[in-house]
Amino acid sequence: MKLGRNMVPLALVGLGTSLILLVVVVVVGIAWYSNPPFGLGDAPPQPIAFPHTVHAGAPEQGGQGIQCEFCHRNVTKGAAATVPAVEQCLFCHQQVTGTTETARVEIAKVKASFENNTPIQWERVHRVPDHVRFVHEAHIRFFTEGETPETQLPVSQVCSVCHGDVAGMTVVAPKPGQSLKMGTCLDCHRQNNIPTDCTVCHQ
Amino acid sequence: MSLTRRNFLAWAGLSAVGAVSCAIPRKEQELAIESPVRLPEDLVEGLDNWYATLCRQCPCAEGVLVRVMEGRAKKVQGNPVYPVNQGKQSVRCDGGLQALYHPHRLAGPMQRSGPRGSGQFQAISWDAALAALGQQLAANGSGMVLATEPLRAHLGLIAGRFAQAFGGKHLGFETLDQVTLRAALESVYQQPLLPDFDLAQANYLLSFGADFLSTWLSPTRYGQAYGQFRHGEGRKERGIHVQVEPRFSMTAANADRWIPIGPGWEGHLALSMAQVIISEGLQAPGVNINAITGGKGAAALEPFRPEAVAGKIGLPEGLLEGHSAADVIKELARDFAKHRPSLAVGGGSAGAHSNGLFNLKAIYALNYLVGSVGTAGGVKFNAGLPLNELPSNASVGSLADWKKVAADINSGATKLLMVHQADLAYGLPASVGMVQAFQREGLFIASFSTFLDETSAQADLILPDRVYLEDWGSDVPDPAPGYPVLGVQQPVVNPLSDYDPRSFGDVLLAVAQQQGKAANLPWATLRDALRESSDKLFALRRGSIRAGSADEFWRTMLQRGGWWDESAGIRNVAAPSAPAGLLAQIAGEAAAPVFSGPEAESFHLLPFSHNSLLDGRNSHLPWAQGAPDPVTTVTWQTWVELNEHKAKEMGLREGDVVKVESAAGSISGLTYLNPALPPDVVGIPLGQGRRHGSEYASGRLPEESSNVMDLLDGAQVQGSGGLAWAAARVRVTATGTSRRVSKFEGTSMAREIGETPGERIIHITSPSNSGGH
Repeated sequence: MKLGRNMVPLALVGLGTSLILLVVVVVVGIAWYSNPPFGLGDAPPQPIAFPHTVHAGAPEQGGQGIQCEFCHRNVTKGAAATVPAVEQCLFCHQQVTGTTETARVEIAKVKASFENNTPIQWERVHRVPDHVRFVHEAHIRFFTEGETPETQLPVSQVCSVCHGDVAGMTVVAPKPGQSLKMGTCLDCHRQNNIPTDCTVCHQ
Repeated sequence: MSLTRRNFLAWAGLSAVGAVSCAIPRKEQELAIESPVRLPEDLVEGLDNWYATLCRQCPCAEGVLVRVMEGRAKKVQGNPVYPVNQGKQSVRCDGGLQALYHPHRLAGPMQRSGPRGSGQFQAISWDAALAALGQQLAANGSGMVLATEPLRAHLGLIAGRFAQAFGGKHLGFETLDQVTLRAALESVYQQPLLPDFDLAQANYLLSFGADFLSTWLSPTRYGQAYGQFRHGEGRKERGIHVQVEPRFSMTAANADRWIPIGPGWEGHLALSMAQVIISEGLQAPGVNINAITGGKGAAALEPFRPEAVAGKIGLPEGLLEGHSAADVIKELARDFAKHRPSLAVGGGSAGAHSNGLFNLKAIYALNYLVGSVGTAGGVKFNAGLPLNELPSNASVGSLADWKKVAADINSGATKLLMVHQADLAYGLPASVGMVQAFQREGLFIASFSTFLDETSAQADLILPDRVYLEDWGSDVPDPAPGYPVLGVQQPVVNPLSDYDPRSFGDVLLAVAQQQGKAANLPWATLRDALRESSDKLFALRRGSIRAGSADEFWRTMLQRGGWWDESAGIRNVAAPSAPAGLLAQIAGEAAAPVFSGPEAESFHLLPFSHNSLLDGRNSHLPWAQGAPDPVTTVTWQTWVELNEHKAKEMGLREGDVVKVESAAGSISGLTYLNPALPPDVVGIPLGQGRRHGSEYASGRLPEESSNVMDLLDGAQVQGSGGLAWAAARVRVTATGTSRRVSKFEGTSMAREIGETPGERIIHITSPSNSGGH
């Protein structure tokens, strides 16, 4: 079939519209099914290979058993859990320099960051949108100070409700099947008889 | 290619595709997270949490929101949904954070290590402290006295049952007690709960001695209603406020007219006004004069004709402006009767004379004549309590009760005194003999104070309570706003690691459990008791919270700061009819005020509650010390208000140290010259002169910081047993020394704008004098 001259611009418009729709579908799809939104991979590569298994893993599995809140020191006090300052890593790593070549290299990066006064730029793994106000402290308090056994957990177990078994992860990835989207929040709120008014989470 | 509509759409589409495609791979800054190099002392993320709770800095327990960042409370402000204060807060609330972070907080339990009253203690463990208290309760629980601040709601319930379980008694302590006010209101209106005064909708407000904008009952609520009263939306005209009070208080300063009546004659003025209203037929339609006067009409009040009382009640000449005092009374009565809805309230010094009960009854009876009982713009009644078991005011003791406690200690009937926020040694007149009673051998005093004060300095054992921002609690407001309210207090922070306090309520429950006396106290903690009440309220299925489950109800209640049921107020308000012959009966109780102390060359002493220190409970807070008094602007000191001319006659200037002597004792203070004070009156604020505790409050120079309660001789109000704290006369003498008064007012010279040559100011002209331009 040969297009008439008058049909060419019409085809271009049709093509353009289809492309826009396709892009919209792809963008929305990625945003909906990935975490973080516009996902850069479930477990993004980090500037320093930090194995939670070694630090937070159970001692019987070769870990140090450090409590989550020891490094994420704001998690029981404020809205953000916070990542630790480099100086805090050096509390131990002044002495602990690593037993394997990989460990030595990675720990050296931490020391270099401190000596060069250069903050470490980690890749964010968990994120909720800006219009959500999520307070770590309130959630931890709920699951640690409740009246039932399900709400009297140690802090580290509370973390894994949303974040999965981070202590067992070499590279941090979102909890499988946990999108940290509104549905996840609502499911948990309903399950625990927590109000689900918009203003509970949205500013 | 020409720019046709189609071409434009095509290019626009392609551009959009390009723009979106380019944007996708760009790495967003928000996807990075940074580890700072240095460990900050306090990681501030800039995100705050706000928790609803109750303020405990004054008895009205306002609902507040507390801003918490990184586990530290940073700011306290009014809770907009809480019915009592509706988003506003008093100056007292702001001091709460200083109580929380105070350097002189008691860190943990202590036992006395020196002689009683020496203030020497040594730290002990909680186990040892609780064992010691348990031992005392087991041995001396019967006859024990649990003295607290007036406790309401759950703590009131627990304290009452606790004392009962051990065979003792629980008494609430108010320095300037409201015993007389409660008795008068109950007698006149036949209602057990304090009513709500509907200032907002009144047209005419006549207040006898009630400093309701500063410290009386629920000042923040009244302050807000006062704004409506003056210029609220929909008002036709500004409300008129007349303040009848011998001292120029903050409320008097706001009034349209201030009538400095002779101290103790308020009841006579009220009955005289009633006589005018009845004799001139000015009462509201439907008011049954025959019933209220016992069938006698105006004759029942014949002795109170304006002409008969005008000479007694001490209206100063300057006020009369050429009229007779009787004319002023008549004018007042006519204005009061004509500007309906009008409201008469009374309190403060009017109820603190020997005849205080009569004064207050006469004042509140006026509302019947103008039809302001149980109506909008008048006295509205509180429909009931949120839950019947929760008291709105648990067993507040009168002066007579405290005298009995001292006597019981002296006789050995009471061997254990437990004290929580009731500073008996500081707040009771010396004539009660409480401090002497403390010295009796065999008496054991356990204090639950968070800070050292006069009474806890006498204690054998101190078990420090948590500050309210760290603790659970509740409140049934008294007075309530016309409907049932249960305020909830929740811990918004944990105590700093240096402190190891325990909740007073939890300690009582634990000790009762330990001693096997917990039959009526089935809760492990105060929080459990709160939760149980929450479930009961949920079962009522009414009020401000709609929830699908008890858990949701509880969490929503914590989120909002409480539960209330406005519909209950509308449903249950009933206007009681006046008791038969009420006015005749009150007239029969009339008595002239009786004063103690020197008569010649002396003044009436009017102590008053300090705007921020109140009765001294906040004197350890620098904020409360430094907040200027609203009328005099004085901070940190005890001042003696004297009439300006009288002081000049006596050769006194501002800052001169004077000795004030009564029949009971003497104190020192700094002269403050007040042009708006009758010449026969001195006003002295409460709150200073502590001998123990925080260095912000104690150890100061006696001429700058003294306790006015030392001047009171323990006279009682006839008929109520309350403290007649305005019934003393004092002599004021110069000591010859002088100190600077630390005040804000007058520290820089005031001058009129435009006086300096060449100073340019804007002239406002009217068309008539500017030639029409």
